[in-house]
Amino acid sequence: MKSILRSVTIASALVLGATMAHAAVTDAEIMDDAASTNQIVTYGLGHQGQRHSPLSQISPDTIKDLVPVWSFSFGGEKQRGQQSQPLVKDGVMYVTASYSRMFAIDIKTGDELWQYDARLPDGIMPCCDVINRGAALWGDMVYFATLDAKLVALDAKTGKVVWRKELGDYKAGYSATAAPMIVNGKIITGVSGGEFGIVGKVEARDAKTGEMVWSRPVIEGHMGTLNGKETTMTGVKNASWPGDMWQHGGGATWNGGTYDPETNLIFMGTGNPAPWNSHLRPGDNLYTTSTLAIDPDTGEIKWHFQSTPNDGWDFDGVNEFVLFDLKKDGKIIKAGAKADRNGYFFVLDRTNGKLLSASPFVTKTTWADGFDLKTGRPNVIPANRPGNPANTGADGKGSSVFVAPAFLGGKNWMPMAYSPATELFYVPANEWGMDIWNEAITYKKGAAYLGAGFTIKPLYDDYIGALRAMDPKTGKIVWEYKNPAPLWGGVLTTGGNLVFTGTPEGYLKAFDAKTGEEVWKFNTGSGVIGSPVSWEQDGAQYIAVSSGWGGAVPLWGGEVAKAVKDINQGGSVWVFKLHGK
Amino acid sequence: MRRVAWILVVLLAALPARAQTVDPADPLGSVMWTTVRDAVFPGAAMVFDDHVQVFSPPVVEDTMNVPVSVLVNGLPDVEEIVLLVDHNPIFKALAFFPVQAAPAFETVIKVQEATPIRAAARTSDGVWHVGGLRVDAAGGGCTVASVAASGGDWDRLNEVSGTAWRRPDGGQRLRFQVVHPMDTGLVDGIPPFFIERLSVATPEGQELARLELFEPVSENPVFTIDLRGHAGSVVIGGADTDANQIAARIGMASTLFGLLEASR
Repeated sequence: MKSILRSVTIASALVLGATMAHAAVTDAEIMDDAASTNQIVTYGLGHQGQRHSPLSQISPDTIKDLVPVWSFSFGGEKQRGQQSQPLVKDGVMYVTASYSRMFAIDIKTGDELWQYDARLPDGIMPCCDVINRGAALWGDMVYFATLDAKLVALDAKTGKVVWRKELGDYKAGYSATAAPMIVNGKIITGVSGGEFGIVGKVEARDAKTGEMVWSRPVIEGHMGTLNGKETTMTGVKNASWPGDMWQHGGGATWNGGTYDPETNLIFMGTGNPAPWNSHLRPGDNLYTTSTLAIDPDTGEIKWHFQSTPNDGWDFDGVNEFVLFDLKKDGKIIKAGAKADRNGYFFVLDRTNGKLLSASPFVTKTTWADGFDLKTGRPNVIPANRPGNPANTGADGKGSSVFVAPAFLGGKNWMPMAYSPATELFYVPANEWGMDIWNEAITYKKGAAYLGAGFTIKPLYDDYIGALRAMDPKTGKIVWEYKNPAPLWGGVLTTGGNLVFTGTPEGYLKAFDAKTGEEVWKFNTGSGVIGSPVSWEQDGAQYIAVSSGWGGAVPLWGGEVAKAVKDINQGGSVWVFKLHGK
Repeated sequence: MRRVAWILVVLLAALPARAQTVDPADPLGSVMWTTVRDAVFPGAAMVFDDHVQVFSPPVVEDTMNVPVSVLVNGLPDVEEIVLLVDHNPIFKALAFFPVQAAPAFETVIKVQEATPIRAAARTSDGVWHVGGLRVDAAGGGCTVASVAASGGDWDRLNEVSGTAWRRPDGGQRLRFQVVHPMDTGLVDGIPPFFIERLSVATPEGQELARLELFEPVSENPVFTIDLRGHAGSVVIGGADTDANQIAARIGMASTLFGLLEASR
């Protein structure tokens, strides 16, 4: 009983809206990102990490007309810390958000094109809020890492998953929040989880397929791999670690890296050694709290600079190593700079890792009295290392000391910026100290592996945060802006003689790059702890920043909580341009 | 889901002459049918056809687990069968490509309210043959959280269990289950997360049948299909929306239960 009742023929002209034309991102575009102004295809506005846009339409003279174009809500009940840096390609913004989400937005209209929400298992263990720092673009794909330590490749047009690879076992404490980096078709990643006794590593995968090319654990004694085979051991087993402590030695590579095409080196920072109690691991504990220069083709470590040997204060050395040409004594030195958790601003020769200068960028660094430029080592003040609990009373606690900076660092994750025009670095710093003491601890999979207790205290009544312009030639602070709450957002410099950064109080602020004069501010409605960007589209210079308070400060900040308790949650990205442009 | 809704809005906008009324030919008299039809197979020829049969209990007990059985009898060269639920916020539950299997399957789906459930079989001439039935149900199958979403066992995600039984006609019946929350994305705070594709192949890699899945398929979905011209163990492959891989091998049963099942 078959009856043909209807035979529909509708012209298949189903116009699915105006589809955005996303052209494939090439390796050449990625390498040229610092100079290009019409797109942002890397974290750091170029692999050098300078966070400098050459654009000059917005300047101290014109900035009074800088107004919002649109604001986009990340929605849901997931209003947690928003630490992302947006990417921009062919009129589309790719921005990540809390809880491992990514959004593609039409920049002209602020319309959402797609949204991807990673499905996270219940057992994730992020130490410091459920944040994400940004994405990477290459080919037709956009990539980011998720809180359950997965690397996800999405189709940039649709947001659909192309592939997904495991960076580490989330049940052992591995996590991932940093933006990946693409170097010549390979996607470079690190891992988070230093508080859980994981082993930090740097890995390269084929960006097209996600297949592993090389893996480099950063703790000595562990074996690296290349094309599926073991290659070399990292360092020399037990050279700077006692017994089997290296097996859970930490050194999380949780803040991403930079890349130098001139020397063909990747620079990755490594975190604190695990556990925090340094008396359990006498020795330098290589390669924790270091900057590593790594060959992107093989994963071999070419040089290292360790900023806090045998760290006992959680002074992760993960801070970004920003590449620049140091003009000194009539010469141009291929240099790099790093403002470390430990309070020192380092300038290194990036061809060999030699320490050129170490200058404090915070008012107090009581754990060490400067650095020896010959040996590259700190002059540690032994009295300001927390006492060994093995030598003290029945309560199991070692003697407590007050140290500055606090473990959240003279500078934490938030990336500084460099301006080739002023030849200055702009460092988002914090002035705080801590009481810290050590306790006994043994490793247990998936449990916090600290062996320390602590409370953070602000050093001054009137401010904690300070944006400081540092001269890398002299190590001197040229100007500073003081902020009541701790600074936790990235910095941007522009060709218009401006420096942008956000504050937990909700402001995106702009400063005259030469004088430090505050020339503009706008309250976004929640704390700004993301990294601002700038690009050009249809004749206008745009500025964008994510807004949404959170991150490590409200979770770990101790007495600092007083300074931030009235800041409300949010979750959005704001876009600005000059009125009438 | 958001994407689905958006596409639908665009579709509606692109079809100015969309019929607003019930198709008088629809044996189930569904107010949603013309919308479902135009969204799922726009421009294609379709007929209501009793050769396509859908079986399901007329009154749904559990809207998150509605057993559905589809049988296409007497139509040659069935290349694809889609399962449609008119009154679900997401109409399309799955597409089954028999390849070397019989044009029939059983599975378990979610329904949002009382609704027609239909199967549409595409024959090699491109015509869709549609049959179905109406089930009565209380509300909510697509908009409540999966059991897994409220603290499931992630260690078992994408775990496959199943058995194959030899049948008198020389083929075999295959029944398997995959552990997966199959979240629709319609529950606040729980993103869409579901198995997108499944394949059945010989251990040598020859494809025997294939499935494309969508949000309305139930949590920990179960599938029953009859393979033709293959006896022996099979390999199940697939992936979910987060590209988590599914890979398992299912062997033959030799139990009394197996014999009973095969003669059913």
